[in-house]
Amino acid sequence: MISSINKDIMPENWYNVVPDLPEPLAPPKDSKSEFSSINLLNKILPREILKQEFTFRRYEKIPDEVIEQYKQIGRPTPLIRAKNLEKFLNYNGKIFYKYEGATATGSHKINTAIPQAYYARNEGVNGVTTETGAGQWGSATALAASLYKLPAQIFMVRISFEQKPLRKTVMNLYNGNVVPSPSNLTEYGRRVLKEHPDTPGTLGIGISEAIEYALDHDYRYMVASVMNVALTHQSVIGQEAKKQLELLGEHADVLIGCVGGGSNFGGFTFPFIPDNPDTEIIATTADEVPKFSKGEYKYDLMDTAGVLPEMRMYSLGADFVPPTIYAGGLRYHGASPSLSLLINKGRIKSDEVTQAEVTEALRIFANTQGIIAAPESGHAIATMLKYVKEHKNDKKTIVVNVSGHGLLDMSIFGDKP
Amino acid sequence: MKNLIPYFTLGYPDNETLMKFLKVIPVNKINYLEFGFPSDNPRYDGPVIRETHKIGNKNFRDDLYDEFFSYFHKNGIKMYSLSYYSDIKPRFSEFIDYLQARNFSGIIIPDLIIDYYSEAKDTIDYLNKNGFEYIPFFSPATPDKIITGISELTDSWIYYGLQPSTGIDIPYELDYTTERINSLLPGREITYGFGIKTEEDIKSLMRNGGSGVAIGTYLEKMLEKDDENGFLEYIDKMRGVLDA
Ligand SMILES: Cc1ncc(COP(=O)(O)O)c(C=O)c1O
Repeated sequence: MISSINKDIMPENWYNVVPDLPEPLAPPKDSKSEFSSINLLNKILPREILKQEFTFRRYEKIPDEVIEQYKQIGRPTPLIRAKNLEKFLNYNGKIFYKYEGATATGSHKINTAIPQAYYARNEGVNGVTTETGAGQWGSATALAASLYKLPAQIFMVRISFEQKPLRKTVMNLYNGNVVPSPSNLTEYGRRVLKEHPDTPGTLGIGISEAIEYALDHDYRYMVASVMNVALTHQSVIGQEAKKQLELLGEHADVLIGCVGGGSNFGGFTFPFIPDNPDTEIIATTADEVPKFSKGEYKYDLMDTAGVLPEMRMYSLGADFVPPTIYAGGLRYHGASPSLSLLINKGRIKSDEVTQAEVTEALRIFANTQGIIAAPESGHAIATMLKYVKEHKNDKKTIVVNVSGHGLLDMSIFGDKP
Repeated sequence: MKNLIPYFTLGYPDNETLMKFLKVIPVNKINYLEFGFPSDNPRYDGPVIRETHKIGNKNFRDDLYDEFFSYFHKNGIKMYSLSYYSDIKPRFSEFIDYLQARNFSGIIIPDLIIDYYSEAKDTIDYLNKNGFEYIPFFSPATPDKIITGISELTDSWIYYGLQPSTGIDIPYELDYTTERINSLLPGREITYGFGIKTEEDIKSLMRNGGSGVAIGTYLEKMLEKDDENGFLEYIDKMRGVLDA
């Protein structure tokens, strides 16, 4: 294990993969012909975030104030060699995991929430707003907003709001205002409630409500994932991991991560792409949300309501209703355009794992390493276990990103919350 | 003389109005013209230009513009076609013949390297062989290796879009953008387009080594209003700014 020698491990810049892609990224496309949803972003996102989404600098300097907050919430996060797990698996190679569960909010989400809140604060807006499914993103948004003294309005998918009351407590503790979505706070929410009073809610409805709220209250919308800027901010994960491996004299043969919208995965793996052409990179999704094997590579809506521009990505269709799996963060219908392109070109491979495999992987990981990983991260661990089984004698160095802890998602083990 | 490239979608707002504007173009103040052949799916254009394609598609008549094309040619103005590969692919060589017969100098194909990357090299080779200029179209999202690789296949000038699509107004870092393209393609003629509005922008682009600008969305609005004087004043002003 490496200790936290902050200044040696933490990067000074975010890394953006777009200039290094093997083919051009298709530009965002207006979802409606009569107005420009791309222009509308000017009113939805902080100016600096929008600039970072579209300027495509390879390196973007991380503001000093953001670096300081990264340190405050626990960066750099540890890279740990999972020796107990290696022994348990009888594996002759090496297994490392980067542990994003060690941040203050318990997942990688805080890595992009902080800069987004920072830029919003700098621009003097009234507050920030977003949607959240399982609640990890909402928690990160609430904390980041609170650190910059901004009000946060969070629309939490109703079914999760009811099933995970502790998440609401966490967000409230960070001074976030949380309502179940659909809500009465927006026109869109009121309409959905009227038409479908019993709806469990979806991320699409939550996004639509948050955007309407942002436009009406001079708030800014916080982007959880999918858009390039979120992946760029998350590059702190991969850049730290690269440095930590280097200090250990190790080289990653295999990188594995889970994909919801692609932010932890892109942040973890993309920094390795330019100078590690031989490193095998594997993206894991839930068997129930098979976007890479059954999805189509096409222009599709990012949000269900069609307010945001369309992006070319692997998608199961914006109206795809995923089964209610435990890993709420993996239920998204698409995946980030840059990640989709790298999958399409064969640079990144994909894998799918079942709920049973995930539960088993989480148990093994908890038993050997003591870490109770998030159900989302459990997908990456499950793929890693499969990989080890299939490459028993290869002596590879495998690095897996454990994107969060699962201490608020224990119902996957059969106990009620 | 720096390049000033007005863009027109053929058939917009109607043939009469467009022809009226083409007639008064001050041929001594511009050196290139860009004509959009109406597309069924102009997906990398913004809402204003998309609308011009929709209307142009209904109005455009093949024979109407020939006399203008030969007039511009005689006056030393180079003409370029803006065409989507998705539209022209089925009759590509025929379409190039058509353009060459009308003295066009080359073609800009915004979707070629985005949607048909695997066909790009053969397509460019074909154009080279036929003595027709392929104008590479890049944006800030184009990866470095693609910019250098595609540019190597031609000697022509480069069309660099500053925005994800036309008529879009997203904040961008002008100095960084020009610095990047200049360092990737030293000495190459770069003409900027997509969302150029202010005189200040044009001045900065020229100061940073740009060789010209293309103006589309703004002109289409004048055509729609049938604002001939506004159009002439604007061209005059832009010429002044470019050469300042
Ligand atoms: C712990 C954790 N991992 C992964 C994800 C998936 O999102 P992304 O693909 O953007 O990293 C989420 C999303 O909620 C999450 O909370």
